[in-house]
Amino acid sequence: MTTTLAQQPAASAALKQAPAVGHSGPAEAGRRSTTAILAFLRTAAASAGSGLWKAAGIIAFLALWELGPTYLASPSTRVFLPPLHEVLAAWGKLFESGSIQTHLAASLTRSVSGFGAALVAGVSLGLLIAWYGRLNAVLNPLLELFRNTAALALLPVFTLLLGIGEESKISIVAYAAFFPVLLNTIAGVKTVDPLLIRAAKSLGLSSLALFRKVILPSAVPTIFTGIRMAGTASILVLIAAEMVGAKAGLGYLIVNAQSSFLIPDMYAGILTVSLLGLAVNFLLVALERHFSRWRTAVGSGS
Amino acid sequence: MTAKISLRDVTKQFTVRPGKGSKASTAGTAGTSGAKEPTTLTALDSLSLDVHDGEFLTLVGPSGSGKTTLLDLLAGLSTPTSGEVLVDGQPVTGPGKDRAVVFQQYALFPWRTASANVSIGLEGRGTDGRKLNRRERAAKASEYLKLVGLAGFEDRFPHELSGGMKQRVAIARSLAYEPDVLLMDEPFAALDAQTREQLQDELLRIWRATGKTIVFITHGIDEAVYLGQRVAVLSARPGRLKEIVDVDIPDRDGEDDIRSHPAFVEQRHKVWTLLHDEVRLAQDAGHRKILPDGTAPDEVPGTTLERSAA
Ligand SMILES: Nc1ncnc2c1ncn2[C@@H]1O[C@H](COP(=O)(O)OP(=O)(O)O)[C@@H](O)[C@H]1O
Ligand SMILES: [Mg+2]
Repeated sequence: MTTTLAQQPAASAALKQAPAVGHSGPAEAGRRSTTAILAFLRTAAASAGSGLWKAAGIIAFLALWELGPTYLASPSTRVFLPPLHEVLAAWGKLFESGSIQTHLAASLTRSVSGFGAALVAGVSLGLLIAWYGRLNAVLNPLLELFRNTAALALLPVFTLLLGIGEESKISIVAYAAFFPVLLNTIAGVKTVDPLLIRAAKSLGLSSLALFRKVILPSAVPTIFTGIRMAGTASILVLIAAEMVGAKAGLGYLIVNAQSSFLIPDMYAGILTVSLLGLAVNFLLVALERHFSRWRTAVGSGS
Repeated sequence: MTAKISLRDVTKQFTVRPGKGSKASTAGTAGTSGAKEPTTLTALDSLSLDVHDGEFLTLVGPSGSGKTTLLDLLAGLSTPTSGEVLVDGQPVTGPGKDRAVVFQQYALFPWRTASANVSIGLEGRGTDGRKLNRRERAAKASEYLKLVGLAGFEDRFPHELSGGMKQRVAIARSLAYEPDVLLMDEPFAALDAQTREQLQDELLRIWRATGKTIVFITHGIDEAVYLGQRVAVLSARPGRLKEIVDVDIPDRDGEDDIRSHPAFVEQRHKVWTLLHDEVRLAQDAGHRKILPDGTAPDEVPGTTLERSAA
């Protein structure tokens, strides 16, 4: 985001000069093209510069991780804080043996199933609740109660009812992801501009068409915000559930490595979890942005 | 000339729930009673009015005199408390393809391109029961965008258009499904003076070309006299028809500045005088107005009566 912002002034300057090249003499054109190249270089430098700034924090952190345990930590804590290269080496070994892939696949399967179920249920139920005001009045206090009950607090209940197998983990992921999707869907439908509804009615749209062509599209950005929140929540809950009772998955990898005193392996697992989280968030943000293109510009435009 | 639209003794009342403050009770006509009881607010009081087929009627009235309420009744977005609203002799029972509304705040669908906004009214079954396919709809949208001077802007999203362009799209949208009646609620109030004049002329051109019946609500006395064949003046709340002024100006197409023509000046003054008394009354009543959609466009600076009348 900041990269593109930083690029804009230089890029637009280059654009403004571009048409001038067409109707000026060759010498002039030469001068123009050098300025264009300069502008391009400036753009490149600016983006590289801002990239560098963005990376600076990460690089500093990684450097601290690499050097800190050796030079700053006491010998007793050093054992629990292996430097970065040891963690990467452990990750490489886990990758070669294929165990990272296995655990990642197990976690992904669970989170995708739970998240998918929550998505379908949350959006459809949310639309239904928002559309029928009576239903909302009845369900709202209940939903508030459930929403404010931390999903992990219910983990023992899920385990008791569904065992320690896949069902309980998928269910708790679904549970955690369900509420952000549901509540944002309801909010999205409720906050549709009443003027747009008046306009749609005056255009003779039937209630079904009104719902499909006006209410749903205008709720989509809000729904996607809920979906993104659900993505984050589902990974969080899944890892915790896998730590408590599982035979595979990243959460299991982490606790298992810890109890077997394979400290670098444990960090390799943690690293994988954060990369997975980043990837999921990146994907959902991109989706959200794609579906709210028309809205993102509203703030800056009219 | 036959009456395209007939309002017969139309009264519209709202039940106002008392709010936290005293707003509702000061706004209500019977609002001196206790704060807890809902009060009845009479927005329109036995109003009768005929609009001829193909006529351009402008409607002025002080803020809160029930102009928007009247337009909602014509559009079929609400029903009268008593009296009859007839279009082509038939009572209005709801919105219909024979009428189109243009709102002050454009009300474009921001996720749709200009073209898709214009064609939304064409997506259902037409009056002949036939459904247009995507290509036919796009062609029709282009045709109407061209009519309002926006050829080539088909793929723009509303946020990429200026206020004047947005209102052009909204006009194209309302014309696209070929209604007989165009209902316009202060459509140019939010635009700058230059754009407003430009759109006024284009609207007149479109009106002459298409022969629509237009009911045009405005704050601007100039605008009302410039556009309307007749200007209906509403009284301060409760809205009653105070007077209808026939506008008799020789030739709007002339090269000269018609607004300084003696006939124009005279008519303008007549409407101004009628309205001025009502505005004073409305101010003395000290009411607040809230639109059904929760906004109060009349309180936006720059669209006040004084401004547009100057
Ligand atoms: N839905 C509603 N509920 C209650 N009061 C309303 C409603 N719509 C309009 N009114 C009231 O009716 C009066 C006329 O409003 P309106 O028709 O919007 O006036 P304007 O002439 O400014 O367009 C105002 O006092 C307004 O507060
Ligand atoms: Mg109004």
